[in-house]
Amino acid sequence: MTKSITIFEQNFILHYSGALFWEEEDMLLISDVHLGKVSHFRKFGSAVPQSAVQGNFLKLTEVVEFFQPSKIVFLGDLFHSSLNKEWLFFEAWMDNITSEVILVEGNHDIISPLKYEALGVKLFPEIILKNFLLTHHPEERSGFFNFSGHIHPGVRINGLARQSLKLPCFFKNENQMILPAFGEFTGKHILHPKERNEVYVLANEEVILLK
Amino acid sequence: MLREGGSAGRRRRKGPSRIMNRNELLKIAENWFSSQNWKPFPFQKQTWNAFLQSKHGLLNAPTGSGKTYALWIPIVLDYIRQNPDYKTKHKPGLKAIWITPLRALSVEIEQAANRFAQDIGSGLTVGIRTGDTPQKIRTAQKKKMPDLLITTPESLQLLLSSKGYDKTFKDLNAIVIDEWHELLGTKRGVQVELALSRLKTISPKMKIWGISATIGNLQQAREVLLGPGSEAFENSVLIKAKINKKIKVSSIIPEKMETFPWRGHLGMHLLDEVIPIIRNSKTTLLFTNTRSQCEIWFQRILQKYPEFAGELAMHHGSINKETRLWVEQAIRDEQLKAVVATSSLDLGVDFAPVETIIQIGGPKGVARFLQRAGRSGHRPGEESVIYFLPTHAMELIEASALQKAVKNTAVEDRVPYLQSFDVLVQYLTTLAVSDGFFPKDIYPEVKSTFCYQALSDDQWEWILNFITKGSQTLQAYDEYKKVEIEENGKFKVNNRAIAMRHRLQIGTIVGDAVLSVKYLGGGYIGTIEEWFISKLNPGDVFTFAGKNLELYKVKNMQVIVKKSKQKSSRFPSWAGGRMTFSAQMSELLREEMFVAAGKSHKSVELKALSHIFKRQKKESIIPGKDEFLIETFKTREGYHAIFYPFEGRFVHEAMASLLAYRISLLSPITFSLAFNDYGFELLSDQPIDMQQVFDNNLITSEYLMDDLQKSLNATEMARRKFRDIAVISGMVFTGFPNKMIKTKHLQSNSQLLFSVFRDYEPDNLLFQQAFRETFEHQLEEGRLLMAMERIEQQTIVWKDCEKPTPFAFPIITDRLREKLTSEKLEDRVKRMMAQWENL
Repeated sequence: MTKSITIFEQNFILHYSGALFWEEEDMLLISDVHLGKVSHFRKFGSAVPQSAVQGNFLKLTEVVEFFQPSKIVFLGDLFHSSLNKEWLFFEAWMDNITSEVILVEGNHDIISPLKYEALGVKLFPEIILKNFLLTHHPEERSGFFNFSGHIHPGVRINGLARQSLKLPCFFKNENQMILPAFGEFTGKHILHPKERNEVYVLANEEVILLK
Repeated sequence: MLREGGSAGRRRRKGPSRIMNRNELLKIAENWFSSQNWKPFPFQKQTWNAFLQSKHGLLNAPTGSGKTYALWIPIVLDYIRQNPDYKTKHKPGLKAIWITPLRALSVEIEQAANRFAQDIGSGLTVGIRTGDTPQKIRTAQKKKMPDLLITTPESLQLLLSSKGYDKTFKDLNAIVIDEWHELLGTKRGVQVELALSRLKTISPKMKIWGISATIGNLQQAREVLLGPGSEAFENSVLIKAKINKKIKVSSIIPEKMETFPWRGHLGMHLLDEVIPIIRNSKTTLLFTNTRSQCEIWFQRILQKYPEFAGELAMHHGSINKETRLWVEQAIRDEQLKAVVATSSLDLGVDFAPVETIIQIGGPKGVARFLQRAGRSGHRPGEESVIYFLPTHAMELIEASALQKAVKNTAVEDRVPYLQSFDVLVQYLTTLAVSDGFFPKDIYPEVKSTFCYQALSDDQWEWILNFITKGSQTLQAYDEYKKVEIEENGKFKVNNRAIAMRHRLQIGTIVGDAVLSVKYLGGGYIGTIEEWFISKLNPGDVFTFAGKNLELYKVKNMQVIVKKSKQKSSRFPSWAGGRMTFSAQMSELLREEMFVAAGKSHKSVELKALSHIFKRQKKESIIPGKDEFLIETFKTREGYHAIFYPFEGRFVHEAMASLLAYRISLLSPITFSLAFNDYGFELLSDQPIDMQQVFDNNLITSEYLMDDLQKSLNATEMARRKFRDIAVISGMVFTGFPNKMIKTKHLQSNSQLLFSVFRDYEPDNLLFQQAFRETFEHQLEEGRLLMAMERIEQQTIVWKDCEKPTPFAFPIITDRLREKLTSEKLEDRVKRMMAQWENL
């Protein structure tokens, strides 16, 4: 279900949902949820099933209950677009959350900070904690290990008999790790791993390190 | 008023002119024909008469037979009859619409129509309105419509989306649907059905006529056009032009068969054999099956025989319009020795100087082959010659089968679409965008069409809910916005942005995103699909429109290029275009196989293949009439199992999926599936236990549909169909002109949508339509059942071979594949990883 890794003597747990748990900080990292995307489509005349809105909240609740973190950090693109009524579902979800919630702003996050602050969500352009740099866009800064999102990383893997699969993944090198998109109604961008990369794919309820 | 010349002053003041009777009217036409030194064909006269008797109908006439005059003339005569003072008083307003599936044909029709209208001084005007028509002219047309409007199905829908459209059409006297056979089996045909259902109400005097080439289901074509059991249908005729064309088919057989390749699709090996044919004929058309093949042939002929420069041209749908028109004119003017073309030259345009046709590669259907053959010797009575050039050895069997097909004129049906909810959603939104509609008026109209004759009240209600609520029940915090229901019950789009987006997206052809190709210094060359360009880097050289071009940059959906002197081996290819054998063609092919297997008299083509048959017999067998052949063997790639039903690509796709599904129930396994017109392959990284397949009786027609449905969930077919449906029904927006959303995004959006529907709304009618369409149009369920029943009667012959056989070779090398798996995702990943270690 999960996979544990150690970076700079800190312990992290990769969850099959695409979330990452930082044990020492009791902190859950989640990237690219893109809430409000379904409602955004519907508002513009595209009849995506409305019940799909609940999918992301169920998934969020599940992973939060699993780790019960004291802090939740969203690594950007929490909301897909401008304010729509999916915000009301988010408010309802926040009501049941006891953890501290922080948003590292992403390019999609255009909803007024005041709205977030009213819910008790703190906003930052980036976070530096110990030797770690948390951002939305992947970044290499010397002396830091960077956790980010934005890319929606995925990989293609090939097998015998002309088989191939495309799966979302955690994409890591020695200086950074890009988280997969957590949101249900999001696509993925296929990356081509090099020698220096470590790739952890999400396969149903497992996280598998590609070797 | 006194325009009749000097004598008018001396005459008594003219009273209203007398209404002419039918014979007098026909006399005008016949006189005009004599003045051109022509003689009307019986089918033309029949059509004139029927039209003037206010009948509707379908005219079955081939291209180049004078079909335009068969219908345009009586439209003009009818106007003269109703307006005896036509010479002095022009009655304004739209009188006739001519629908053509290809914009390229409209100029030709315009010229012919103008010629007659002007010669007899009818005072009628002709105009064109297509996607190419500049905005200025379109606006002018809206103010003042021409008398005859030549347009496309999409542009007609756009007219229905403008305010007050009912006034535009109120005096419409005739609508002609040209090349109806091309539209019939497509969603554009459904669009035409819906437009006609509306026009029948708002244009009460309208007569409906279709023109169709020969297809298997002409009677049905008439029914679809006019509406089953409708008044129009009851008062209609089917007129057939009996123009017998003699067609001679001749195969180009390589001198050294031994070195002729077993697979391939280009046919370059026979380039030299083509040259004498071109030299000995006035003008030759070389038909290729794909645009890239067209580019390559053009380039290679010029490389090897530079003396053809200036006399050889190329014609395909992605080259700019000016060049295409120039080529077409040059053919007529006998300036060209040969033209390499694709199906873009299949239709319409009359080319008298063409003497010879060469078909490169299998045409896949008899009707298409006949139509192409018909492009030469365009004068009635002249013999048409068509050469068949095989691109690989097995295609010679096709050639042999085609010979027989031409003799028996066995042609295919075009299967009309049923219950296309996506097109209906688009159409209703179109009506809501213009003047709005009341469901009680529109429902009976929609029900009167062939496509929606079985539409139920519940389904109708569902569609109305879908366009107004975006779902069937109201849900919390929902902001869905599209069509609103006004207080008086009118369905209307009031949001301007939604209306504009809808107008931009009207249509049913969903292609890959295309980019325009331009020179750095300006000058438009044509269009190219996005995915091809995405594989190139600036500085790379590729060949397009017969020129070597260096990619400079891609910006704003434009590919900027420079001329290059460098040689290039990169040719753009355009997706799609994979066709299947028709049922008729497959049957002919099977018969040829039996001849090949037996000892009876063989055609030259089969004789030429004897060494391949010998090899096949050594490794395996050539199946006889009562045998069903299965071959298994192992290669570096994995374990192959090849089945040979000889039923055509689409049926094989279904069978492969079905069988793979049934085998996958025995134990977790993953297959990659390939198919061609001869057979199909199941490829796996584990051996397939063939004995288990027989013991469990997996090759059976029992539970066929049920199993197939389940197997579909495991493959990608329905997912791909859903993409078109999502675009047509407006769930995915394809973007603004020149600012198009890249196909990659559209693709992934519709892919994402598919998953969302599967998980959250599997009973959605549009989602289910994807599966139904896969069944009816992709997999041809009827043919599949018949094929399975036939196979059940046969003896299965299983050959465990040492290596791939000549029959297997073209299939196993095919790269376009489906997947089917019964393994858990995590297990697959782990197994793939284990394989890497062994590599």
